[in-house]
Amino acid sequence: MTFSFSIIAEAWPTFMAGLLTTAVFCSVSSVLGLGLAVPIALAQLSRSFAWRLPAKVIVEIVRDTPFLVQVFVIYFVLPAAGLPVSSTAAGILALTIHGAVYFSESIRGAILSVPKGQVDAARATGMSYPLTLRRVVFPQMMGYVLPSIGNQLVGLIKDSAVLSIISVPELSMAFNTVLGTTFAAPESFVTVAVLYWLLTSAVTLVMSRLERMTPTHRSTQELTSLIAGTDR
Amino acid sequence: MTLEWRYVEHALPFLLEGTLITIAASLLAVALGLIVGIFVMLGRQSRFKALRGFVAAYISIVRGTPLFIQILIVYYALPGLGLDIPRFESGVIALSLNSGAYISEMIRGGLMAIPKGQLDAAKAFGMRSSLIWRRITLPQVLVLILPPLTIEFTGLLKASALLSVIGLVELTRRAQEVIGETLRSPEVWLTTAALYFVMCFALGTVTRRLEKAAAAYRL
Repeated sequence: MTFSFSIIAEAWPTFMAGLLTTAVFCSVSSVLGLGLAVPIALAQLSRSFAWRLPAKVIVEIVRDTPFLVQVFVIYFVLPAAGLPVSSTAAGILALTIHGAVYFSESIRGAILSVPKGQVDAARATGMSYPLTLRRVVFPQMMGYVLPSIGNQLVGLIKDSAVLSIISVPELSMAFNTVLGTTFAAPESFVTVAVLYWLLTSAVTLVMSRLERMTPTHRSTQELTSLIAGTDR
Repeated sequence: MTLEWRYVEHALPFLLEGTLITIAASLLAVALGLIVGIFVMLGRQSRFKALRGFVAAYISIVRGTPLFIQILIVYYALPGLGLDIPRFESGVIALSLNSGAYISEMIRGGLMAIPKGQLDAAKAFGMRSSLIWRRITLPQVLVLILPPLTIEFTGLLKASALLSVIGLVELTRRAQEVIGETLRSPEVWLTTAALYFVMCFALGTVTRRLEKAAAAYRL
């Protein structure tokens, strides 16, 4: 078996275009997903059953089905229901929903990590619930939520590899293209693996830097190493 | 669009067949993953620096790259090294190698949860380390990691859907085949999603029970 760097050099632009698409899809979806995750988390923690139920249903459906099947349902079932979706729209939608649910679980856990007495005290001094969240809960949960969000981001990047199946031109699609035209299996496999590894490692590094800036990061490291077991 | 029940009825027996393969692949993968996980955990605590480095690199690669790519590598790259392995075995190997990296963390967590005093007491009674491992450590670690292990199994049930890309006829691949034949995709995909949901939701309930039982055991 020979390993040819010139093949990698030749395929480099294809890989870079794929990497860029992966990065764009994941950034857009994680921003949208985080935006949706906060209301889902708050709804799940709500005292009213009418809020809890729909949030619980969405979370359970997303958590208990494979991401690949979610992608197929969005890409094939929505058009049949009269909502034509392009592969780009289907990809972003699938990643966003998937991300929103997993982020919401992190956020829910983080909100619960703030002692309830503090919320009661804030409410008793006349602070409104949104103000309590903003001034008391959110700042304290950051050290807890960031590492967990970091894991979910890494999971999102890895999940996005599946989108090549509905022909989104992301990194694993670039890999398919290169493998299909050059038949250089070892080179293509090594390159795609290294690029994914670099991307996920970069995200992990940035998140741990961010985490170090929060006041409560000390005691949360053991907890996150336990949570870390679930991202794939 | 209207969903027609007869397509679901037609697809269901085929999909259930695929479900059996999905369950078989995931069960084998979690069992082999446990074995891989034990070796990975031991390798991490090894005296030999090279072995520790190798294991650390293995964990980093498994966690830093998509399972999708790992499955393709095992399926396409191993024959290139002169190993000819069929789809099912190749898929199970990829899943267990992936799972082992995560399970090793669970085992490590389980070991840390065992009070050191118990080991000191056992030593003071003159128990050999192999006996301590068999009578004190292992039974407790197994109980402690049972809940996370069922979560891992649930994860593998979902992850095994990716084995459809190497042509293993599990649930997802079966669904694609049925669609290719009947040309009705919405009913089949929704039924497929429902089958995964039922399995994973049921396992989630089992996990919560086990978590309670394990918590009681710890006291």
